[in-house]
Amino acid sequence: MERRNFIKGICAASAVAATLTPSTLLAKAEAPKGANAMTFDAAVAAITGGKTATESSKVSLTVPEIAENGAVVPVKVNVESPMSEADHVKAIHVLSTKNGNARCADVMLTPLNGKGYFATRIKLGGTQDVVALVEMSDGTFLKAAKPVKVTIGGCG
Amino acid sequence: MAEARKSMIKFKPKKFKVGDTIKVDFIVIHPMDTGTKKDKKTGQVKPAHYIDNITFSLDGKPFTTMKVWETVSTNPYFSVNLKVPGKGKITVEYTDNMGEKNAKSKKLKPKG
Repeated sequence: MERRNFIKGICAASAVAATLTPSTLLAKAEAPKGANAMTFDAAVAAITGGKTATESSKVSLTVPEIAENGAVVPVKVNVESPMSEADHVKAIHVLSTKNGNARCADVMLTPLNGKGYFATRIKLGGTQDVVALVEMSDGTFLKAAKPVKVTIGGCG
Repeated sequence: MAEARKSMIKFKPKKFKVGDTIKVDFIVIHPMDTGTKKDKKTGQVKPAHYIDNITFSLDGKPFTTMKVWETVSTNPYFSVNLKVPGKGKITVEYTDNMGEKNAKSKKLKPKG
C-alpha cells in the first residue's frame, strides 16, 4: 500500500511539473516591449537618411566572440582618420541587429578628439551582430559588423 | 530629489604632455533600467530609467556629445579620446529620461 501511494505521488508531481513549464515559458515570451523599440533597419534608415554605408577596413570594431553575460558586452570602435577640420569622423553609431531597441549610442565627435575612438559596454538580448556605423565629415558612411555569441544560462 | 550619483572621470595614461592624445573615461553608477524587467519584490514592471544625453566639454566648450539608449549596460562606461591642447577643466554633464541632471569635472594638467 505504501509503495502504491509513493508511485501515485510521483505521477502527480510530474504532471504538475509538465503543466507548469509551458505556462512559465509563455509568460517569458510575453515580456513587455521597451518604450524605445526600434528595429535595426529603421534605425539605420534614420541615421543614414537613405544613403548606403560601405564596409571599410578603416573601421575596426572590437567585440568578444563569445559573451558569457549578455548584460555587459564591451564594444570598442576605432576609425582611421587624420581628424583635421577638413577630414574627421563626425559620428560613431553603435547598433545591434536583434535587440528590441537596435540603437545603443550615437557619439558626435569633433577634431579636438584627436582620434576616432569610442568604447562602452552594451546589453545584448541574444546572439546577434554588433554594427558600428561611422559618419565621416564629407557625408559618407562606413560600417563594420561582427557577430557576438551570447551564452546566458551557461551550457546550451 | 535624488542625491548626486557616484561618477568618475579618468585620464589614461595618467601622465601626459600637451599635444598627446589621451583617453578620457567616464563611469557613472546608474541602474539603466530598460522598462521590461519586473521588480522581484513588488512584481511590478520597473519603468525605463536610463541616461539619454552626455556632453564632454573642455572649459565649457563641448567636444563630444552622445545620445544614449537603455541598451547600454548598467553602471555605464564611456571612453573617448582627447588631444590635449593645454591646461583646462574637463566637465561631463549628463541627463536621464526622468529629468535628472548631473555633472562631474576634473582638471586637465599636462606636464612638460
